[in-house]
Amino acid sequence: MTEVKVKKESTDPVDIENRIKELCQQFPHGITDQVIQNDMPHVEAKQRASAINRLLSVGQLDLLRSTNGLLYRLKDGQSASKIKGSDNQEKLVYQIIEDAGNKGIWSRDIRYKSNLPLTEINKILKNLESKKLIKAVKSVAASKKKVYMLYNLQPDRSVTGGAWYSDQDFESEFVEVLNQQCFKFLQSKAEAARDSKQSPMVQRNSSFATSHEVWKYICELGISKVDLSMEDIETILNTLIFDGKVEMTIIAAKEGTVGCVDGQMKLYRGVNPIIQPTGLVKTPCGLCPVFNDCHEGGEISPSNCVYMAEWLDF
Amino acid sequence: MTAQEERLCGLLLQEHFGEVVEKVGTHLLCNGNLNLRALVHETKLPLDLVKKSVCVLVQQGMCTFCTGRRGPGAPVEYQICGEKVLHMLRYPRYIYTAKSLYGDTGELIVEEILQRGQMTMSNTVSTVADRLTHNMPEGQCMDYSEVVTAFSRLVETHFLQRSAPMTPAGSSTSGGADSNPPSVTEPIQPETNPDCYKLPYINISGKGKRTRSDDGDAEQSTAKKAKTDNSESGDEGIYWQVNFERFHLHFRDQAIISAVASKLDQTSSEIVRTMLRMSEVTTPANAAFTQALSANEIFRSLPSTYNIARPILDQYLTLLVDDPVCLHIYSQIHATSFLMTVCVHLCSLVGLCHYLAMLCVRFGSRSARIFRLLLRKRHLEQKQVEDFAMVPAKEAKDMLYKLLSENLVQLQEIPKTPDHAPSRTFYLYTVNQLPTARLLLQHCYKTVGNLIERRLYETKENKQTSEKSMIITKIGISCSTTGRSPLSYTKVCVWSTCPKTLQVFVCSLHLVKLMSVNNCIDNCNRVLFSHGSSNARACRLK
Repeated sequence: MTEVKVKKESTDPVDIENRIKELCQQFPHGITDQVIQNDMPHVEAKQRASAINRLLSVGQLDLLRSTNGLLYRLKDGQSASKIKGSDNQEKLVYQIIEDAGNKGIWSRDIRYKSNLPLTEINKILKNLESKKLIKAVKSVAASKKKVYMLYNLQPDRSVTGGAWYSDQDFESEFVEVLNQQCFKFLQSKAEAARDSKQSPMVQRNSSFATSHEVWKYICELGISKVDLSMEDIETILNTLIFDGKVEMTIIAAKEGTVGCVDGQMKLYRGVNPIIQPTGLVKTPCGLCPVFNDCHEGGEISPSNCVYMAEWLDF
Repeated sequence: MTAQEERLCGLLLQEHFGEVVEKVGTHLLCNGNLNLRALVHETKLPLDLVKKSVCVLVQQGMCTFCTGRRGPGAPVEYQICGEKVLHMLRYPRYIYTAKSLYGDTGELIVEEILQRGQMTMSNTVSTVADRLTHNMPEGQCMDYSEVVTAFSRLVETHFLQRSAPMTPAGSSTSGGADSNPPSVTEPIQPETNPDCYKLPYINISGKGKRTRSDDGDAEQSTAKKAKTDNSESGDEGIYWQVNFERFHLHFRDQAIISAVASKLDQTSSEIVRTMLRMSEVTTPANAAFTQALSANEIFRSLPSTYNIARPILDQYLTLLVDDPVCLHIYSQIHATSFLMTVCVHLCSLVGLCHYLAMLCVRFGSRSARIFRLLLRKRHLEQKQVEDFAMVPAKEAKDMLYKLLSENLVQLQEIPKTPDHAPSRTFYLYTVNQLPTARLLLQHCYKTVGNLIERRLYETKENKQTSEKSMIITKIGISCSTTGRSPLSYTKVCVWSTCPKTLQVFVCSLHLVKLMSVNNCIDNCNRVLFSHGSSNARACRLK
């Protein structure tokens, strides 16, 4: 009895289509032919094929190629409706761009993947852009390189460069200001610790600030228009380390403490430079641009050196 | 010896001893070991002048001689030590150090010995006492015994040492000349002498004499002195010289102390000073670490004026051990007390900072940042440099190329494929410390040379005016003393016009400036030199 019923149902092409769609919904990553066969063992191959073909032609199903044969995947209704009325080539390009995600894809890579001529692709891209389905984003890695991605996506950090870039330009002044502010914060903290006249150990320990504290200070200052994360502040603090103005130590902290990442906390503190400017740069020779060409008796020589004369009269 | 060092040596010799010695000295520097005959022939100077200048060099300890390479009968060959010539650059500093440590007496002792190369103790004592007496107000005079005390303290702290016997071994020993001629290519080190720092018994007493302007009196006094020297002092043949190494160690210690002071605070630097002072004489000169010291010992040796309690001292010591820059102070728990050793390679760190500071001023702080970044991470690609240092790509490229063209950073190519195609090659920037330090040392030498040349030029240019002004002041003095009418004096004053006096003043100002900067550079110079040599030693050890 049940067998007959199944047979009856399965013979109906609309039912088969619905069943396939349900299966696709169950497995959003896509299903193979084998899955459909297992689910509807009594449906003939011919019927199955015609149902799939119909779904494909309507644009409700995607055909993908994977390592183990063909994969069917349900197309989301939105995109299906979006690219309604566009031809196959446009659909193909759209799909390639969609696959690239928020990293975007370069037009040349689209050409390689789609095997379409470049002029055609440019036309399609323009078309899609005007429809506000995709957008072009300039990458910071190469200023001439435009990458395409879906219109509603937020570009990846690797494309925009994160907080330090505005319109593909590195904001070095912003970085410098943050660098100075962080240093100022740490320095004032160190000075306060020095003035506290406590035992040396306490003095040292109170001069440390966690990266979270620095982050909070910078946020409260309100010098940044964009939201900075703690990692951003840590990269700034790292530049201070490379400037030799700041030291870092890592301590173990209990999980859940503020500013604690992976059970460890980074502590920074401002330090004094070891030496004053060296003697060499107190002379004009230390900074001379023609130092290597300077010889006694030559065109440039210490006796007729203008820099030296100026410096002596200074 | 590089070209820059040779040039500087020449300039220094010329400044201190004049043209002839300079010619002989530079010739020896350029050509290595030479015998007297070759020296006369090649410099084309008269024999007696060459002899005299070699004498001067030998007396100053800059020149050594050894029996010829061709066997026992060969003529004696002379050899100059460039490093010792370069020490002349530092004479003011040695004298100043002696003054700050042992007062005026110490200053004069070191000054006299530096000037003459080597002296006997009795001779030094009497000369210094005389000079001190001369500067004292009428009626007072310096006692010899005081000078002897200062001298003995200088010897105790190894700032002075006996000079090595000047006879090349083998040539003078009676009877054994042909039996076993030892190889004497190496100059004898004073330290090999067990009595190096042993004071002889000298029989000298009395007071410093005032030299009179009256000729007869002076003659009398010198005669008396000569008599005294001959009859009483018992140290003939024992000559003393300045121990440059010891002074350099002192400078190194000072550098370490000042680094600690500016990095941490005054108290920690005082503790480090105490530690260094405790191990001053016991640690060999080129050791990487000082002797181990226990915290108890340190506590006992701390001057009582500091008022540091024992627990506080412990805290300071822990801080010093923990500090990433002073990493080189090691501690180990030994039985009950801390054993501390100060790594003297901290000095190399100071050297590093010297060139970082130089970079900072010369190329801007961002280049210094890149340099330090490369020092820390060793090998980096350009992209990584941009990301770490947070410098825009264009500027980073510019800075890296500039540093590269100045030879301060090196570029290493690592090809992925054998064809070295640029697109398939990693370009890694690195910093190689030793060549960089050497490069900067050469820069320093050249700069000092330039400054000296400029000074010579300034003196030459203004020779006439400065001489004139000297004559005028002399006339003025003689006018006032002899009581002649001031009319001629005013005439003379009118003759020397105002702009000229100004010129003299400006010139002297320039000279002072050049000299003082010279000292600054020398500081950097020495640190870099010791940095370089310690690095080289480390490399050899590896």
